[in-house]
Amino acid sequence: MSLGKCLEILSKYKLSFLLGVRTTLIVAVLGTLIGLLIGLVVGGIRAIRLDKTAAPYKKVLKKAVDIIFRIYIEIFRGTPMMVQAVFIYYLVYTNIVRWDKMVAAIFVISINTGAYMAEIVRSGIQAVDPGQNEAARSLGMSSMQTMFDVVLPQAIKNAFPAIGNELIVNIKDSSVLMIISITELMFQSNSIAGTTYRFTETYFVTALIYLCLTSISSIILNAIEKKMNNTKTSLPQSDTDFKSISMAKEEL
Amino acid sequence: MAVIEVKDVRKGFDGLHVLKGISFEVNKGEAVCLIGPSGSGKSTMLRCINLLEDIDGGSIRVLGEDIAQLKDINTYRSKVGMVFQQFNLFNNMNVLDNCMIAQKRVLKTDPETARQKALLHLKNVGMADFVNAYPSTLSGGQKQRVAIARALCMEPEILLFDEPTSALDPEMVDEVLNVISDLNKQNMTMLIVTHEMGFAKDVADKIIFMDSGVVCEQGSPAQIFDDPQNERTRQFLKRVL
Repeated sequence: MSLGKCLEILSKYKLSFLLGVRTTLIVAVLGTLIGLLIGLVVGGIRAIRLDKTAAPYKKVLKKAVDIIFRIYIEIFRGTPMMVQAVFIYYLVYTNIVRWDKMVAAIFVISINTGAYMAEIVRSGIQAVDPGQNEAARSLGMSSMQTMFDVVLPQAIKNAFPAIGNELIVNIKDSSVLMIISITELMFQSNSIAGTTYRFTETYFVTALIYLCLTSISSIILNAIEKKMNNTKTSLPQSDTDFKSISMAKEEL
Repeated sequence: MAVIEVKDVRKGFDGLHVLKGISFEVNKGEAVCLIGPSGSGKSTMLRCINLLEDIDGGSIRVLGEDIAQLKDINTYRSKVGMVFQQFNLFNNMNVLDNCMIAQKRVLKTDPETARQKALLHLKNVGMADFVNAYPSTLSGGQKQRVAIARALCMEPEILLFDEPTSALDPEMVDEVLNVISDLNKQNMTMLIVTHEMGFAKDVADKIIFMDSGVVCEQGSPAQIFDDPQNERTRQFLKRVL
């Protein structure tokens, strides 16, 4: 393997690589965000504890929904995303609608991420001190208000490192979506390698690009996390500190 | 006029009987202190009045209504404030927002009025300088004073205190007890679970001594502290005074 060849491949095929990076990022970022939304709903509902006095139909409904969510999580965590991608893509394509491959890719990665996010969100909610819930309820706030104003903001903050982890995982694991011919970074690399017959050099460049993407994501995620923690721990001593803290809060 | 009437209340957790027929009354404007050894059911009794726990038997009437029959629990809770041992300030909000959120959500107060009321109550507990501070930056005594202001912002008719000074180091106990004494002077109706006997003696109109889920003795501070009739009360007071 020669580094000179690597540079040559990179400069000659930079447009292909860039197109691949763009698709990879679109799929990974959208998949993570939609997955987080799915996780908030599924994990949030799974974390609800009904009062002993709740109406019987509510208890039955809760139980049924819990079972469905449990099955969803087990299936999507328990099978490879590559298998999910081909199966779901062809299932829908041949039986329901001739859908766009890109839509299929984002759908698969979202629903797969959602299964992991649901567990992350649920553990984040359960890690919030029960006293927070009791205090809100004792002031007369409803269980919904308590969830949205008090518990979820703290749960998301607790779970943020794990949520960020999913983005990094998705940047790398979106490579399996080339199985349904999504032209992401891995797919582009395969074509380049097939054209140049320089397999080692091409995939070395590919690996470096993935590493760049994940490193930059890590830096951004760390910065966000630091900012989230900053407003909660700095010790206000003077008026200027008060101002900087409220300004920092507004920026968030 | 009795605003809290507790009659023969029973409560168990998985076969363990915590309250075995508790009865007492709290009149309007009174400060009543619940004292007794740990595990005697004092905190559970308080939590039942706030509906954080259900009772298994007996009845609790507050402001003339049987609270087991209430249709709107949230409105009821907004009228009965609660102050916790562990403060339970909302960690994701600053001091001001802690005092405003329930006003906005439950009482539907407009933000400016809510802000003014929050500032007023924070000033009364000496925490007006800390409106932008987050709970994690405050001392225990400061947190508890904010928690009291937060409860007062709902303009409750009754305040329940669940060992408000037990999690504080000794130097901070007084700053919180002073705030509660001030409320007593303004004739706030209060039911206070406490281990601070000196404080109970000074502010309480009535003392209730509980042990192992029953009320052993109740009466004026003078009766309980100077001339206890019950043997268990005498034993307990001998050790703590």
